Amino acid sequence: MLLPLLPAATLLLAPACAVFSDEAWNVDYHFALLGAPKEETSFFHRPNPSSKASLIYTLSEEHALGAVNPRDGSLVWRQLLASGGDSHNTSFLRAGEGQDVVISGIGSEVAAWSAADGRLVWNVHTDGPLEDVEILELSDGKETVGAKDAVALSGGEHPMVQRIDGASGAVKWQYSIDGSDAPYQLSASSTEVFAILIHKTILGYVKLRVVALDPVTGLKTDEYMLSSENELATADNIISVGANSASPIIAWTDAAHTTLKVNVVGTKSISSFSIEKHDENAIERVKLHAPYHINSLAHFLVHYETATSHWAEVYHIDLKNSKVEKAYSLPRVAGRGAFSTSTADANVYFTRVTRDELSTVSSASHGLLGRWSLSSFGVAGGVGEVIEPVHAVSEVSVKGDTVSAIRTTVLLSTGDWVLLRDGKAIWTRPEMLASTVAVTFAMPADMVTLAQQLEVEAHGNPVAAYIHRVQRHITDLQKLPSFLVLMPKKIVQGFLGTSADDAAGSDIFGFRQIIACATRSGRLVALDAGHPDRTLWNRDVTDLKPGQSWRPSLSSTKDGVIQVSSVAGTGVDYNATDGQQLAGDLPVIPDEPDLSTSRAVRYTMRGNSLEATYDWSPSWTFTPTHGERILNLVPRPVDDPVASIGKVLGDRRVLYKYLDSNIALLATAHDASSKANFYVLNTISGAILYSNTHPNIDLTAPIPTIMSENWFAYSFTSEASPDTTKGHHLVIGELFESLLPDHRGAMGASSNYSVLHTPASDPFTLTQTYQLPEPISRLAVTRTRQGITSRQLLAVLPASNALVGIPYGVVDPRRPVGRDATKDEQAEGLMRYAPVLELDPKWYLNHQREVVGIKEVVTAPALIESTSLVFAYGLDVFGTRLSPSFSFDVLGRDFNKFQMLATVAALAVATFVVTPLVMRKQVDQRWRFL
Amino acid sequence: MLVLKSLTVLAGTSLASAANLTVSIPSSPPLLPNPASLAPSTHAVLIGPPGVQYEAPIRRDNTFTFPDLAEASYLLTVHSRDYFFPPLRVDVTKAADGTQQETVQAWQTFRGNEWSNKGPFYGSGNGELRTQIQPSSQKNFYQDRGGFNIIDFVKSPMILMALVSVAFIFGMPYIMDNMDPEMKEEFDDMQKKGPLSGSSGAAAQLQNFDIAGWLAGKGSSTEQGAGDIGKKR
Repeated sequence: MLLPLLPAATLLLAPACAVFSDEAWNVDYHFALLGAPKEETSFFHRPNPSSKASLIYTLSEEHALGAVNPRDGSLVWRQLLASGGDSHNTSFLRAGEGQDVVISGIGSEVAAWSAADGRLVWNVHTDGPLEDVEILELSDGKETVGAKDAVALSGGEHPMVQRIDGASGAVKWQYSIDGSDAPYQLSASSTEVFAILIHKTILGYVKLRVVALDPVTGLKTDEYMLSSENELATADNIISVGANSASPIIAWTDAAHTTLKVNVVGTKSISSFSIEKHDENAIERVKLHAPYHINSLAHFLVHYETATSHWAEVYHIDLKNSKVEKAYSLPRVAGRGAFSTSTADANVYFTRVTRDELSTVSSASHGLLGRWSLSSFGVAGGVGEVIEPVHAVSEVSVKGDTVSAIRTTVLLSTGDWVLLRDGKAIWTRPEMLASTVAVTFAMPADMVTLAQQLEVEAHGNPVAAYIHRVQRHITDLQKLPSFLVLMPKKIVQGFLGTSADDAAGSDIFGFRQIIACATRSGRLVALDAGHPDRTLWNRDVTDLKPGQSWRPSLSSTKDGVIQVSSVAGTGVDYNATDGQQLAGDLPVIPDEPDLSTSRAVRYTMRGNSLEATYDWSPSWTFTPTHGERILNLVPRPVDDPVASIGKVLGDRRVLYKYLDSNIALLATAHDASSKANFYVLNTISGAILYSNTHPNIDLTAPIPTIMSENWFAYSFTSEASPDTTKGHHLVIGELFESLLPDHRGAMGASSNYSVLHTPASDPFTLTQTYQLPEPISRLAVTRTRQGITSRQLLAVLPASNALVGIPYGVVDPRRPVGRDATKDEQAEGLMRYAPVLELDPKWYLNHQREVVGIKEVVTAPALIESTSLVFAYGLDVFGTRLSPSFSFDVLGRDFNKFQMLATVAALAVATFVVTPLVMRKQVDQRWRFL
Repeated sequence: MLVLKSLTVLAGTSLASAANLTVSIPSSPPLLPNPASLAPSTHAVLIGPPGVQYEAPIRRDNTFTFPDLAEASYLLTVHSRDYFFPPLRVDVTKAADGTQQETVQAWQTFRGNEWSNKGPFYGSGNGELRTQIQPSSQKNFYQDRGGFNIIDFVKSPMILMALVSVAFIFGMPYIMDNMDPEMKEEFDDMQKKGPLSGSSGAAAQLQNFDIAGWLAGKGSSTEQGAGDIGKKR
């Protein structure tokens, strides 16, 4: 039983590099995001039927299911649903009236989640991919009290309709759909369940086939084909099938959007309406908004959209004869608009959000119940961009003839998700950041000017430099009045402990860098690392067609400028501070992906071999053995300063690091034998400097790799055999010129050499493996300006939703094995090797928070040497500042101003008290002597 | 209970022989008195042979359910935001009696040890195993800074020394005053005889060193002059 003590022993060692309680929540920032919410899967719902407070539920495009508190926009709970590698991006989220669960459907899994705390209630797997999920809002006496049943329509080879018990998740009945028709949607009225299928005719048109089922027994009661004639060319022209309303409807238009056909599901009659043209532009989209409650009025709204304007028409259904009639229309308004439906008892209200107005009408008449003008949505956009609503969800409470309170969440064209309460923006969630695909840090331009001016002075002749400097100081004098005005405030702030970096305006430490994020939707969003709560600017940089993707790469070529380039296209420059475009147009060119680019050596994947070209001529080719495939290649970062060429040992001798800017770590996998191979390559000559093979590897698990300075690290998951261990491993290797202290190895005497001409001097590599309690999906390393500060290994832990900073000293491969560290080794900070590396929660950079879905971590040096800026993105966005060797060049939060002032004051008091005593004594002594 | 039943039914329809594993988190005071307080992101991962991995989120009744387990040896890890849980080894094997059902067994396992090194037995079952797992410790994320503490400050030896000397400087005269005359005389004598104090003390000699006299070859002539240097008053 001594064995469990080993990890405990490692925990006790090295308290270095932890998250301090006074820095947590202050230096770090985190956006717990969901991704862009989808219109059909977002709604207000009461998690607890007995309370009045409701939450906003959404299942986003990133497959994140979550509940958001409408009061402050904070996340109540969140579950990342596995999409199961689906090809068609369909997901469903439903909540029954008065239910304490929400039911999600994604891939082939239907799951019920506790609405209040997000825990799983039940889940059911269907055979085929889900096509629709609905909640049966009927009381047939057979369902369990309190829980409403769900109906699921699944496709695949054996399409079927299943009724799932709302309390237990048991399947009550299932109905297999015969024929080759593709399942499309489900619809339920109070007495029947309708499965709507798409039937392809010989002529290439589609027809709708409706199968009516008895909700109690699951037996077919009726089946018919809707005579849609030849106007329905594709399923894309079907607008919507209303769910759970008193009379579910199905509507479609012809390809040119000239007529609208509406059918009340369950009847065969089709009402036809011609669509009026309101302007010269063709109608691009037709959307249908219908209430989702069974006892609400059978009214619905049709929303027409052209490129420049939108309008809507409201229709009523006569339940007795199933006739559809147009009631009134809402006028045309320029720009895009969003409509949302909300219900109160039986009444239905439609809320309209346009660029500058929010209005609510009742479905019964066109009189406005409430109207608020929107001055702004409170979000940052691009220069001259008009921010438009994309879709909205509302919760309305009506007293008499006016709206007493209205809460509307709107997804904007900028990607922000905003809550408007009575027309005022209460909170915004930057959901566009959840689809960030590339990130770069950039210095703001105003910081840069000073650096440039100092540069001019440093390189000019002394007289000119002196004149330049005097001029600079004179211009600086203009800022004196404002500086003097701010002075008292600054002093008070300093006194109250609000530290220097919080003071607005100046950023002498380089903490307030601009982080530019390129999102999948083709936008560029800039954040301020010092004040991350507000977006600096957010602009559209590409013209992506729907479904088109881009692979942008961002860089800050010079300070104050952000360059965006897409794969092989030339870059476009943007001003980092305000997002103004500087020059060029961005073409989106799909191209062969480059694995990586570093200075002059370019790598290309040709088939299964890696080809390196140097100065446009092939330099070397790495072809793995048969059956082996290349996983990834990580070169040493281009900008990777190293301050010391050696490691100082405890006895003041030096081990020389093998420092070569042209080394890279290549990982390959051999699937047949489940082996993973790792090679350290010289990227100029192609020589293999080090290689290692690990058998019994789970190749489906992530294998992250990293290379920095003279060391590399990788992680993998290994399979068990009786005499080995099963679990996750981290391997760290360090390259030295020689393992003898004070010895530079074969290349020691020569001052310059070429890897191409002289025989290679292989480095001596020390490696060590540590077992981890959980997998690592991504590795990164901190970067500082000069490389004096020790480095910290950053690892993304997907299982714990954490980003952990592992101090290098803890994983140092030079830790002595099988013996205690000697005095000299202890002086160096090495301790006895332990095979298990327990990841101390104090290393969690995110501490108590959960950082979900991190795909990539980027680091950048601050202006001061001790600090590295960290920014992690994926789904969530998380950023912090790290001082791996503690803040040795800046007064941190551990500096207690009050204590310092108190000490000074105490000394002053002591001096005042003691002075007369000492004086008297001296005088006394004088008298005695004389 | 209903949940499990339904899952068994489902599993029965999809796979002829399949093993189920249910792991529940009981109330375990003082560490975790109420398992309902666990974050909804709490989940359990079963890692089997390469490519086989199951994940189960926590349910309303504080359990993790894994239906349809294939025959293999699994590593079960429970990940929670606030607590550490011990890793378990779960083996799903063919039943010895040759029936359809499979045997599910669970032990604690230790990281960094060979896989055959099994810890305490967590139970076994035919076709189904229900077991409990308790958190081993709570996660503590924050490092407290050694802040200013007046007691620690006073306790430090430097400050103690300074305080003692201050006490002597201020306290000594009063002690001298309050001593009875005999004691005082005794004390004065003692001080005079001391090697550093008194007129013949080393300190006095050094201070009043008569270089001219010394050069002139004079002996100890410092007797006259400052007679009571060493005296405090």
